[in-house]
This record gives sequence, structure tokens and C-alpha cells, in this order.
Amino acid sequence: MTALLLDLPLALGLFGAGAATLLARSLFGAVLGFISTGLIATLVWVRLEAPDVALTEAVIGAAATSVIILYVASRIGNRATPPAPPPIAQRVLAGILSALLAVLLAHALFSLPEPAPSLAAPVLDNIAPTGLGNPVTAVLMAHRAIDTLLESAVLVFAVFAIWSMAPERRWGRAPGPAFMAEAHGPLAFLAKVLPPIGIVIGVYIAWVGADAPGGKFQGGAVLAAMWVLPWIAGLVAPPSISDMRLRLAIAAGPLVFLMVGLMGFAVAEGFLAYPPGYAKTLILLIETAMTLSVAAAMACMIAGPPERRARP
Amino acid sequence: MAEVLTGAAALIILSALVGLVRVLRGPTRADRLLAAQLLSTAGIGALLLLAAAGAPELIDVALVLALVGAFASVAFVMASRVIDRR
Repeated sequence: MTALLLDLPLALGLFGAGAATLLARSLFGAVLGFISTGLIATLVWVRLEAPDVALTEAVIGAAATSVIILYVASRIGNRATPPAPPPIAQRVLAGILSALLAVLLAHALFSLPEPAPSLAAPVLDNIAPTGLGNPVTAVLMAHRAIDTLLESAVLVFAVFAIWSMAPERRWGRAPGPAFMAEAHGPLAFLAKVLPPIGIVIGVYIAWVGADAPGGKFQGGAVLAAMWVLPWIAGLVAPPSISDMRLRLAIAAGPLVFLMVGLMGFAVAEGFLAYPPGYAKTLILLIETAMTLSVAAAMACMIAGPPERRARP
Repeated sequence: MAEVLTGAAALIILSALVGLVRVLRGPTRADRLLAAQLLSTAGIGALLLLAAAGAPELIDVALVLALVGAFASVAFVMASRVIDRR
């Protein structure tokens, strides 16, 4: 009964926040509706017993996307003219198609076999050789490591894509817009107090991923947020995008992952296979390098393409 | 005891969801922002109550939410600083 008392408001709240995002008249209202939707989704994932996803939603939804879309909204807000509404026939057609899709999805959902097909049992049976305690990490790093390897490369390409937006004359400068240093005030205070705590928590979340909800992605995203905060407050200057150390940090994770994968040919059964007894050591090595890469890549994604001259 | 804690979490979430009206209606930007921030604060409280009710792994989710929850406000300040500069 109490569970329903918790789940029903959450479900309605998620629906309401989504509707508020779509119906908001101002850009700013829509952005905050979206942020609220993400916060409610965090709690929904918790109720669905998926704390790993909840952690990701909390970090990405609350920190990364809120900074990115609020910044974009404020930059285009003043000059963008709202596009003319599409003709009524197009809107009706879009409505009918969306309703049809919703009906089809609902039908698929209600005709799922009972019990739903699941690979959870085989995963739990085969977790012992990896030496890990968190089945989600075991799937990501051992059973389906190839998917995770491809995902890790996506981060590098995302940074390429964002940097390629930079105009020619700004190439080689620091990522992001210019922020004047603010020695006093709440933002500078937060940028001085939060990172020392946040770095410890970020490393902890990445480390604990082997045995509990967490991991490289969530931990790396927390570290990225802690790196970006002093940039925004103008306390430190971000490195130039030509800085080899920054580029190496972004590429380190996928490179280490790939090298361990290729090593599998020599010392184990094949690509991305771990030699027996060394699985956990190698997984932790990859996770460490990936945490660094996720932190560097996410920080560059939040900051955006270079917009200013790098400080000498 | 777990029932009481879950009920308390439900109460916190309900009261934060009422605040969602301010995200929708404003009227000022600060009203919208603080309503969204209320949701993140309430989320931390609800997560800790649920953790005490028998899911200790949720403490980490609450910890992370507490750390990054303020970032919407940071972004708000950042956006206003960029506009002021123009």
C-alpha cells in the first residue's frame, strides 16, 4: 500500500513534468521542466530497482545536461524568433501517428510473455570468474565488453564533433566561453568548497562500481562536473584543445581498453577475453583509464567548442 | 518501520511535486529554478529514507544527487553572466 503511495505520485509526476516541458511557453520554462523530468526519472529508476541507471540519470541529468541546455537556451533566447507553427493538417497527422505508436507500444508491453525472458540468471551464474560483485559491471566489462568498448570510442568522437564546430581562427584555444573571474560571491565559494569533496566522491563512485552501483561513467561524470565548476567561476583556465595532455586523457580509456582487448589474442581465448585469474585486475585497469577519459571528455562536452583566447 | 519510512518518503515526494506547479507557472525565472531545486533536495531526502527502509545502496545515489543537485543553479548563474557580458 505504501509502495503504491510512492509509485503513483512518481508516475504522475513524471508524466506531468514531461507535459510541462512540452507545453511550456518560454524556453527557460521548458528547460527547467526537462531538468525536473530528469530528477523524477532518477527516483523512478530507483523504484524500478535499477540504482546504476539512477546514478547515471542523476549525474547526467542534473549536472551535465542542465548546464549544457541552460547555457544554450540563454544564448539563443534573445535572438531566436520562434518558428511559425506548422499547418493544422500536419499537426493532426503527427498527433494520430503518435497516438498509434503509443497504442502499439502499450500492446507490446501487455503481451509480454510471463515471466519475461531474462538473462539475469546466467549472468549471476557466471559472475565468479570476473571477481566482481556488481552484475551490471560484470555484463559491461566482461560478458558484453565489445559494446562498452564501442561506447567508449563514441566519447572521443563526440569531442571531435564538438571541437569541429570551432571557427578556424579559434582552433587551439581553450574550450568554452569566457568567464570573468569572480573572487567573491556564492559561485566562487561553491567552486572552491565543492571540488575537494566532489573529487573524493567521484573516485569513490568509480571505484565502488566493481561491487556496488557505480562505475567509470558515473564517477567520471562527477569528476567532469567538479572540473568544470572552477572554469565557470573563472578561477582556473581550462587547457587548450591542442594540449597533448588533454588529448591523451580523452583517448587513454579507449586505448587501454583496446590494448587489453588485443592482448586477449596472446594470453587468453581471443579479443577482449581476460586470462583466468587476472580478470578483475585488468577490468580495474580499464575502469581507471576510462574514468579519466570520461571525466576529460565530459568536461570538454559541457564546456563546448573554443570561444575565447587561451590565457598565456 | 520500513512501511513508515516509505510512507514518509512518499509524503516528501508528494510535497515536492506540488512545487512542480511553480516550474510550470513561474512567474519569475528564480521561482522556476527553485522549484526544480526543491525537487532535487526532496529527492535526496526520499532516497535516504528509502535507504533506511532497507536499500543501503541508495545512500550513494543520494550522495551524488546532493553533490550535483546544485548544478542547475550554477548553470543559471553562468547563463546570466554570459548574457550580462553582452
